[in-house]
Amino acid sequence: MSTVSIRAHAIARRFDDEQAVAGVDLEIRAGEIVALVGLNGAGKSTLMRLLLGMLRPDGGGAEVLDCPVAVADRAVWSRVGHLIETPPRYGELTVAESVYSAARLQGWDRGSARVATAATIADLELEHWQHRATRTLSLGNRQRLGIAMALVHRPDVLVLDEPSNSLDPLGVVRVRQLLRMRASEDGVAVLVSSQHLDEVARMADRILLLHHGRILGGLDPHGADVEHQFFQRILEADQAEQRPR
Amino acid sequence: MNAALEFELLKARRAGVFRWGALVVAVGVPVLCTAFFELVRLGGDSPSAAKAATMITELSLAGLLATAGQVLSVTILMTAGIAASWSFGREFVDDAMPALFAIATPRSSIAAAKFVVLAGWALVTVMSTVILTVISGLILGLDMDPTALQTASQVAAVGLLGAVLAAPMALVSSWRRGYLPGFVALVAVVVVTQVVTAIGAGAWFPYAAPALWMGMGGAAAAKEVSVIQLLLPLPVAAMAVVTTLSWWRRAEAR
Repeated sequence: MSTVSIRAHAIARRFDDEQAVAGVDLEIRAGEIVALVGLNGAGKSTLMRLLLGMLRPDGGGAEVLDCPVAVADRAVWSRVGHLIETPPRYGELTVAESVYSAARLQGWDRGSARVATAATIADLELEHWQHRATRTLSLGNRQRLGIAMALVHRPDVLVLDEPSNSLDPLGVVRVRQLLRMRASEDGVAVLVSSQHLDEVARMADRILLLHHGRILGGLDPHGADVEHQFFQRILEADQAEQRPR
Repeated sequence: MNAALEFELLKARRAGVFRWGALVVAVGVPVLCTAFFELVRLGGDSPSAAKAATMITELSLAGLLATAGQVLSVTILMTAGIAASWSFGREFVDDAMPALFAIATPRSSIAAAKFVVLAGWALVTVMSTVILTVISGLILGLDMDPTALQTASQVAAVGLLGAVLAAPMALVSSWRRGYLPGFVALVAVVVVTQVVTAIGAGAWFPYAAPALWMGMGGAAAAKEVSVIQLLLPLPVAAMAVVTTLSWWRRAEAR
């Protein structure tokens, strides 16, 4: 059985009086694509930030590549790629400079970073824009750039928050193919969040439904109607919460 | 060169705030002071000449340099303060901060690289200001005597002390997550400096001591500034740098 690349146990985080993540248990194995779905404000981005050490949990904890996130060092993080919420915003840098800088900051030497930059730009079909300042890119191409920056150093773990946001249909297919290829051929563990149920059903091996900061369970990506499963689970959870004890 | 420094240098090379800041100081200060100098040297009874005469007390290269030093003490603080606020604050305003988490390069290294770039920029800007002021003086036919050489060193020291005093703006911009709080802190510092100097406690105030030493409060006030008072900007900057690096190490990406 493949190894667990991301593990969370009873991880929780509160913002003032809002319990954003309320004790989530999670395991993602190498070579597996897991999708997090949920309504706006369900806690998807907060959970991803907790897994990446961007936020400190109030309770529980997480491990990435068998290392507790709280003490993870460059050896661990150099094997992780991520894109959280917004694509990169250094508008003055070109596409090629942005991807190259991402590789360098991940510890790659200059020569390897240049080679990897060219290959990743080709993978994301960004060649035409590679010498353009990123501020001139469309939102969709900025999103492709963000994904390129997350992939350039060939990480073993990928955490992508709504990667298909703003992408055109061709971009959605390209990103899906890339992620599936990285997962199946390189054994990359992929966690994605999305609002597009059809898309995650095509991409993911497992779908986890997050609601009010809790995992309500899995949805079957190969089931007849993922959308129906999604609303049914949420309705049941909301009714259970309102039911008198 | 390490990756963080290469990254920050790349961003600084493209940043108008560094380019224009250097131009305003390194070219603007010598040109302005040379113009004032000529106004006084040519005489005349215009209000501008009278005002310029209060700044330029000696019609020599040392006098020109001393005037440039006084103007530089304020302009370098303002431009370095704006550059520091922008460099640190933009990471939050541009929503770039999350991308600096969970990568092989620690955030504190990126913050340290920002300080190194700011220091390099300040050094080049201050030295260019001194050199261009000397060249302006030589073009006017002024002599490069030992007093001028000593004043040139003093101007360089005042410029660098002014630049290091911008470090707390980096801390404010990081802590309040944006460059506007840094700008506000900069304006507040300038106002407080004016008030402290007006009530006669300027020499003990790190933001006032270098300018007073350069003669902004008159020759008598300049002589009273001690070495300890003059070096006060260094611990202020050191504390700001250490606290900023620590903040970047511990901060969350909210």
